[in-house]
Amino acid sequence: MTMQDFIGHAQWVFLLYFIGINLGYLSQNLLATIGIRRYLQTADHHEAEGVFSVLDVPISIVVPAFNESVSIISSVKALLQLQYPLYELVVINDGSTDDTLAKLIEGFALRPFPEAYRDRIPSSPVRGIYSSERHPNLRVIDKENGGSKADAVNAGINACRYPLVAVVDGDSVLQPDSLRRVVRPFLEDPTTIAVGGTVRIANGCTVRRGFIEKVGLPSNFLALVQVVEYLRAFLFGRMGWSPINALLIVSGAFGVFRKEVLTEIGGFNPRAVGEDMELIVRMHRHMREQRRPYRITFVPDPVCWTDAPETLKGLKSQRVRWQHGLGQSLFLNRSLMFNRHGGTVSWLAVPFYLIFELFGPILEVMGYLVMIGAGIMGWISAPAALLFLAAAIALGVLLSSSAIMLEELSFHLYPRTRDVLLLFLIAVVENFGYRQLTALWRLQGLARWLFGRSHKWESIARTESLSDATRSVRVLTMPPEDASRR
Amino acid sequence: MWEFLSPPTSDLAVVIAAWTAATATFTSLVLFGATLALRFATVQRTRRRRRVIERWREVFAATIVASAEADLPALPRYRDDERMLLLEEWNRLHEAVDGIARDRLARVARRLGFADFARRKLRRRWLSERLAAIQTLGNLREIAEWENFIELLDHPNTALSITAAKALVQIDRSDAVRFVMPHVVARDDWPQATVMRILREAGAELVTRPLCNAILTADADTAVRLLKYTGVAQSDMIDQLVELLLRERKEPAVLTAAMRALGSGSTPPRTARLTEHDVWYVRMEAAKLLGRIGQPRDLPVLEALLGDREWWVRYRAAQAIVALPGLEPAALRALARRQQDSFASDMMQQAMAEAGIA
Repeated sequence: MTMQDFIGHAQWVFLLYFIGINLGYLSQNLLATIGIRRYLQTADHHEAEGVFSVLDVPISIVVPAFNESVSIISSVKALLQLQYPLYELVVINDGSTDDTLAKLIEGFALRPFPEAYRDRIPSSPVRGIYSSERHPNLRVIDKENGGSKADAVNAGINACRYPLVAVVDGDSVLQPDSLRRVVRPFLEDPTTIAVGGTVRIANGCTVRRGFIEKVGLPSNFLALVQVVEYLRAFLFGRMGWSPINALLIVSGAFGVFRKEVLTEIGGFNPRAVGEDMELIVRMHRHMREQRRPYRITFVPDPVCWTDAPETLKGLKSQRVRWQHGLGQSLFLNRSLMFNRHGGTVSWLAVPFYLIFELFGPILEVMGYLVMIGAGIMGWISAPAALLFLAAAIALGVLLSSSAIMLEELSFHLYPRTRDVLLLFLIAVVENFGYRQLTALWRLQGLARWLFGRSHKWESIARTESLSDATRSVRVLTMPPEDASRR
Repeated sequence: MWEFLSPPTSDLAVVIAAWTAATATFTSLVLFGATLALRFATVQRTRRRRRVIERWREVFAATIVASAEADLPALPRYRDDERMLLLEEWNRLHEAVDGIARDRLARVARRLGFADFARRKLRRRWLSERLAAIQTLGNLREIAEWENFIELLDHPNTALSITAAKALVQIDRSDAVRFVMPHVVARDDWPQATVMRILREAGAELVTRPLCNAILTADADTAVRLLKYTGVAQSDMIDQLVELLLRERKEPAVLTAAMRALGSGSTPPRTARLTEHDVWYVRMEAAKLLGRIGQPRDLPVLEALLGDREWWVRYRAAQAIVALPGLEPAALRALARRQQDSFASDMMQQAMAEAGIA
């Protein structure tokens, strides 16, 4: 085979890949547009009519915290002001080495609480449990550091009293009515086991007393690009998979789960890099294996705001981790792939994620390199190489444009017209450098998963010696000799 | 003029790439234009909406307080495309007021020709307009739409069918119950909060008997769902129904739902069969029930449940003990101390701490 032949074949492979992945995304776009339109048609009416009373579904909110001394008080205060009739807040101090626990004790008048803690999901030992004198619905679990968010959340789930569990990142900013919105699918369909909502970028917004007061765009370029990325990922990425019950991820920043199913499957996997995705994929596998009817749903409402990394280092770390987590989640639940009883998850979502999301960066990076190289070397004409690049870029712009349009059709959160113009500009600019860079990082994440290297995130100094200040609190874990009692 | 699309080579892949690039760029430009147009339209609509609502809110408020026909405010002029906004605002206000205020609002709605307008909207495809139309016609108690709404009860769309049910009850509650109740039984897609509101509006005297009959003959799943509506029914009949269910039915889900249906003023049913039930959540519900309506004589049963193998049963039993009438903190502390079983004593400590008993 001559180099010319190789390039000829490569052209086809790259072209078909780009067209395939973009057709996939455009189909999701179509499904999402229909889904959002349908959702919005009834949402206002339901809201006005108070159709979904939430009185019968109390929620436990689990907030893991590790060394969050600076923000923990304001985060918890905001969570205590959510508009929902009955909920409890379970904050887990995951062996913080700073004064997170002391701040909580002082800020909320916490007192040791003699809880008969039950260890249904294994986690690192619990050192003590506190309840607030001022807020009867607030408890704090102080535990030894388990080295992962998953371990902390699992300890929190064990202490939850209510049938629905919302897992919220300590630095997430929730909408005041977020719980009311995400609980709706549980009320509409009792087989619902998990619900996620749209997460937006908080950079550039004005936050007051723990809530978003004014929506705005960040001035930092990286954060700005992520605004467009999040619109794509949530408005049609997730909304597209949800109607066919093939949603593979509910963001770790904010998700609501049926507690019984969480406990049944052993909670979050503490060894998973992307514990949020791994949980959802495992939920699918578990329910499909048991042939039980279930739904994992996404609500398009913007319910949660999160900080996006503003430095290349932070962004790289996040993207490498996400890709690593994706590979691990799919591999750990590989029996889902083309499973006879797996439905849309096995035959559509998992293959799509495997081919386009997991291994996609290989073809994407190779595509750029081969086309540019072949153009420079004269194996294909420079205009032809440019046309291939133009096709890839134009498809990228199209996807972002459709996400911005969908946002305008549905929630139009960005109030100024210049915000919309800026988003369109970013939709074009991100294709020159940013997209290629993230493809490289994803490739690195893929390699990290393939070659079994643990991610730096796992070895963040979270296992330092524990403070003795709380040792006097009675350890309330279950005695091993009487494990028959739950 | 399309020469720029002619690729520099005849290679098919390059041709496809060229067309893909051109089509995607063109579509993006269209989306860009459409988004800006949409933004412009939204801004205009929001401004107009604000103006209309401000103007008419005053008119509606003056209407509500007008004691005589002569006091009714003059109605401002409005554009045809503002009428839907008015209708929505009127519906919102109608839901918020009661009694004579509603009658006065209805009078204004007739002067504004809302009934005819709503009838036209009822035949449109756009769901939110149809819903607003049904709501308006229900609020105006338009008997002429009765048959239409009866038909809509069978509509597969949940919002449409339940809004029609609500409208029927508003139009003629005694006749509506006959048509609506079978759908309350059959339609498990109807949101419970709305069903409760409809049944409450229909009134306990009309709802209780058909509801009890439906529960008695329903399968387990339906009985559990219907038992949630017993809060709107007459409590004496519900107590009898629960007693019958606890005696006759075996399904654990029905037993727990029946226990939940008992009000706090009810006579305690015989719970022995329930506190010793094989299924843990039946035992838990029995403990919970005793926490609500139990008497000091139930203490031995609850104390036995403190040693249950299931955490939730122990928890509810401990809470029930703390809630029993006549048990002083000192007696509770003594009870906690005398527990040989550490699980039971831990749970008592927790329940006492929750109740603020140190």
